[in-house]
Amino acid sequence: MPVIEVNLEDLRELLGKKVTNEELRERLPMMGTSWEGETEEGFNLEVFPNRPDLLSIEGLARAYATFTGLEKGLRRYDVEEAGYRVTVEKKVEGVRPWFVTAVVKNVEFDDPLIRSIIQMQEKLHVTHGRRRRKVAIGLHNLEPVEFPVTYTTKPPEFKFRPLGERFEKNITQILTEMHTGREYAWTVEGFEEYPMILDGKGMVLSMPPIINGEYTRIDEATRNLFIDVTGTDLKTITEVLNIIVTTFADRGATVYAVDNHYPDGSVLKTPDLRPKTMTLDIDYVNSTLGMEYTPDEAAGLLARMGHDAKVGETLTVEYPCYRTDIMHPMDLVEDVAIAYGYDNFVPEIPEIATEAGEDPLEVFSRGLRNFLVGFGFQEVVTFMMTSPERLFHRMTLPWEPIAETSNPKMEGYTCLRNRLIPGLMEVLASNKHHSYPQNIYEVDDVVLLDPSTETGARSERRLAVALCHARANFSEVKAVLNSILENLAVEAEVEEGGLDCFIEGRRFVAKVGGEPLCWAGEVKPEALEAWEMEMPVAALEMNVEKLLELTSS
Amino acid sequence: MNPEDAAARLHENERKVLLTLEGRGAATTQELSAETGLARDAVEKASAWAETKGVVSFQEEVSRSFNLTEEGLKYAEDGLPEKKLLELVASGRNEISVLKEEFPSLNIALVWVRRNSWATIEKGRLTLTEEGLAAKDGETLDDALLTSLKRTSIDNPDEDSMARLDQFVRRNLVEESETVIRWVELTKAGRDLIPAVKRVKETRIITQITPEILQNGSWKGASFQGYDVTLPVPSLHPGKRHFISSIIDYIRRFWVELGFKEMTGDYLELSFWNFDALFQPQDHPARDLADTFYLKTPYKGRLPDDEMVENVRQTHENGWTTGSTGWQYKWDPEVSARNCLRTHTTSLSVNQIAKLSPDDLPGKFFSVGRVFRNETIDWNHLAEFYQTDGIVIGEGVTFRNMQGYLKAYLEGLGLKRFRFRPGFFPYTEMSMEAEVWIEERGEWMELFGAGMFRPEVVKPLLGVDVPVLAWGPGFDRLIMQSYGVDSIRQLYGNDLGLLRKARLWME
Repeated sequence: MPVIEVNLEDLRELLGKKVTNEELRERLPMMGTSWEGETEEGFNLEVFPNRPDLLSIEGLARAYATFTGLEKGLRRYDVEEAGYRVTVEKKVEGVRPWFVTAVVKNVEFDDPLIRSIIQMQEKLHVTHGRRRRKVAIGLHNLEPVEFPVTYTTKPPEFKFRPLGERFEKNITQILTEMHTGREYAWTVEGFEEYPMILDGKGMVLSMPPIINGEYTRIDEATRNLFIDVTGTDLKTITEVLNIIVTTFADRGATVYAVDNHYPDGSVLKTPDLRPKTMTLDIDYVNSTLGMEYTPDEAAGLLARMGHDAKVGETLTVEYPCYRTDIMHPMDLVEDVAIAYGYDNFVPEIPEIATEAGEDPLEVFSRGLRNFLVGFGFQEVVTFMMTSPERLFHRMTLPWEPIAETSNPKMEGYTCLRNRLIPGLMEVLASNKHHSYPQNIYEVDDVVLLDPSTETGARSERRLAVALCHARANFSEVKAVLNSILENLAVEAEVEEGGLDCFIEGRRFVAKVGGEPLCWAGEVKPEALEAWEMEMPVAALEMNVEKLLELTSS
Repeated sequence: MNPEDAAARLHENERKVLLTLEGRGAATTQELSAETGLARDAVEKASAWAETKGVVSFQEEVSRSFNLTEEGLKYAEDGLPEKKLLELVASGRNEISVLKEEFPSLNIALVWVRRNSWATIEKGRLTLTEEGLAAKDGETLDDALLTSLKRTSIDNPDEDSMARLDQFVRRNLVEESETVIRWVELTKAGRDLIPAVKRVKETRIITQITPEILQNGSWKGASFQGYDVTLPVPSLHPGKRHFISSIIDYIRRFWVELGFKEMTGDYLELSFWNFDALFQPQDHPARDLADTFYLKTPYKGRLPDDEMVENVRQTHENGWTTGSTGWQYKWDPEVSARNCLRTHTTSLSVNQIAKLSPDDLPGKFFSVGRVFRNETIDWNHLAEFYQTDGIVIGEGVTFRNMQGYLKAYLEGLGLKRFRFRPGFFPYTEMSMEAEVWIEERGEWMELFGAGMFRPEVVKPLLGVDVPVLAWGPGFDRLIMQSYGVDSIRQLYGNDLGLLRKARLWME
């Protein structure tokens, strides 16, 4: 989740109040952010992905002002008309179809605002923008721009002067030679032509989502801006545009509308900063939260979250255009709860009679775990993720089909275990410096491929014991199996054979009704050597689900 | 304690030592060993015990001892090279070039001949000085020292010999070693105890009771060797449950006592259950390869073939009949059929809701199980860890109820100072974080998330919109704190030293 740096002085100025870090540290988390610690200039704050409007200090100040009662209700924004027009050409449909724009004037581009805007733009690109693929924002100096602006595509050999470059470059050069080009080339991979924003004179404003043109470079002297947002999803880019524009408006800028002409003849007027409306049933609020607010109380709480609510038969809530997270009345209920304060609710366990119980396999497994302790064995808990190296190679077992991940970050954790014994061997191999005997066991799941299930795999509960000491041998491990079976009144037939990790003639499979229940034996010296062990090991592994079945029948 | 008892509590060997010391001053343990017939370490052990009882004083003296090395022994037999050189020169072979051919130790010899001023060198010839002549014929101090060392080691030498020995040590002819001499002497208390010790000696002492002694009745009339009960004995390593597994049992019992029923399910899960059913849009960052393990084998599964999947699709695309706007994108069943390792046990919770019909309500369910994150493993991160999920589903359950259950859970884990604050999860609304106050750090630590499932989650699965309280705490960090383990890797390291010493989880 994105973390923003907040300059305390900037925030104080925007709030018109000398708030302290102590106060903010206490209150901001209760508003729905995470305090990430003080810095020299202020503090770091984690903003949840559903509240991109808090990614700028201006947005944060706006929310904090109502939350703490410095301001009340909805802040309204005006949009002026000046006949700005842009054209979206049909060619962009297959590459990056959506384009919305705005003009803001009388911007005081001082340090705090520049810092805030750059930070917000970066964070929006990473989160909502999915690293610019879904959304890319361009800010331009309005002065040189001649309208109408056109959003179109250009072939790879098309040339212009990218931001920060002394000479023109063609698109291929930009994507292969420039740092930003290489970083974001993946967002335009496979395109025959590339998105391009040009003004009435054919000068390039931007090649979204890669880089702007030098033509509309912004500096401290810039007062008027042209803003574009391009992307793959109209809803998201509109929301992002609103978040940016309101940030400038909060700093005193005037907002102008632009008519975006789409190839199907439709005209999209942006930005649309009018609040949106949703109705909210007071009973819904109360039954969800377990409270008894009057409609007026609820309206008062909504005002603390920057909404205006009209009280009638239901609440008619006007919510700000930048609140992209409000999709359902439940989202407004949450705002009521936040305004009331999560720490002000009185927790209460309801009286709901339900049938309780553990899964029978878990009850059975716990019985086995406690029983094995009686043998003096130490229980271990090992990872389910492992590697073919451990499952097969070190065990001197042949490879078998197993569940494998496609994108592991760590070499040692690439697949799921299909057997417990290798995990026990790993524990023994890493405990050679401790005293012997080391008799250990584990009761847990393995994962086996099974085409009959929804995913093509299923888990199976297993029990494994490894006996490791100077005299560990076949008889001892067979005696352990005997005791388990005797105590569960299960009879099994033992026959030579089983797993190749055991010494031939000193291994067996215990079967019930012809189906294997348990595999056991003395671990081969080749396997011990592969684990770098110099102490004999005798081990067994059994199917607990089968055992449970036999016990309950 | 009266003298008879005190004497009876002495070990047989202690009594031997005491009696041997009677009427004399200090004796070395070596001497005592010879006289008692006990091994020297047995004497030393007995003396140490006796010292703790105040009946002897026991002192150590470290002595330095010098012995010839192999090279030193050779010189002690053949003479030092510088002495040999004197003889060669005296016999007329005084040209260095000639000596070089005939005398392999020439270089060493020259060093010492010159240092002792036994000869002068001019134009490649050696001429003996008066001292040289004297040294040639007589026994030098070095010779004497070598001879003496050949006979026996020199212990604690005086200052004069020390300087010479140092030189030999540097020439690697002599090596130094330290020997410890232990002196034992009766204390006043020890002397007073002697008569009682003599009396004890006359009765038979039993150290270990054996079946034989019990069978033949020889214990009658004998007395038992008393032990120093404060002496340490080694611990045993009993069979034990792993503490993580004990805590999981505890958590399970906790939920059952609150009336919850267990839900179980698989580690491998369709993305549908892990993400889509939880209203996470298909381009949500949490679904990135960076956080989620996807499967190579089995690559994908089969979506449940019913209305529910269709409901989920529509809810993602336009909100369906949930009253939501939805995410406004085209939902892809292929993405949803992709297999992954569950990233949370919340996948079990939605699976459970899908299995319920409105007639089954209300219901309370819990799960405990492993979840997987595609992390780079370090002291703070693992690729798999445990989580316990809970849901309460039914008309009339409220946000305050959720706080009620979680308060009980946190108190059940022994936590005293905690708080709830707003959080964010794509599938809950209210979303809530539970935090615990960490006194040592002076700050709140996030423990886990909770919330009420969004209508967009519940309605497509159940067919109707009913409030569902849900939470999914991990508990590794709490175990780490409780067991004083500071690396999460250590927690799952199965170090037998740690497991054998780990405190039992007694709740």
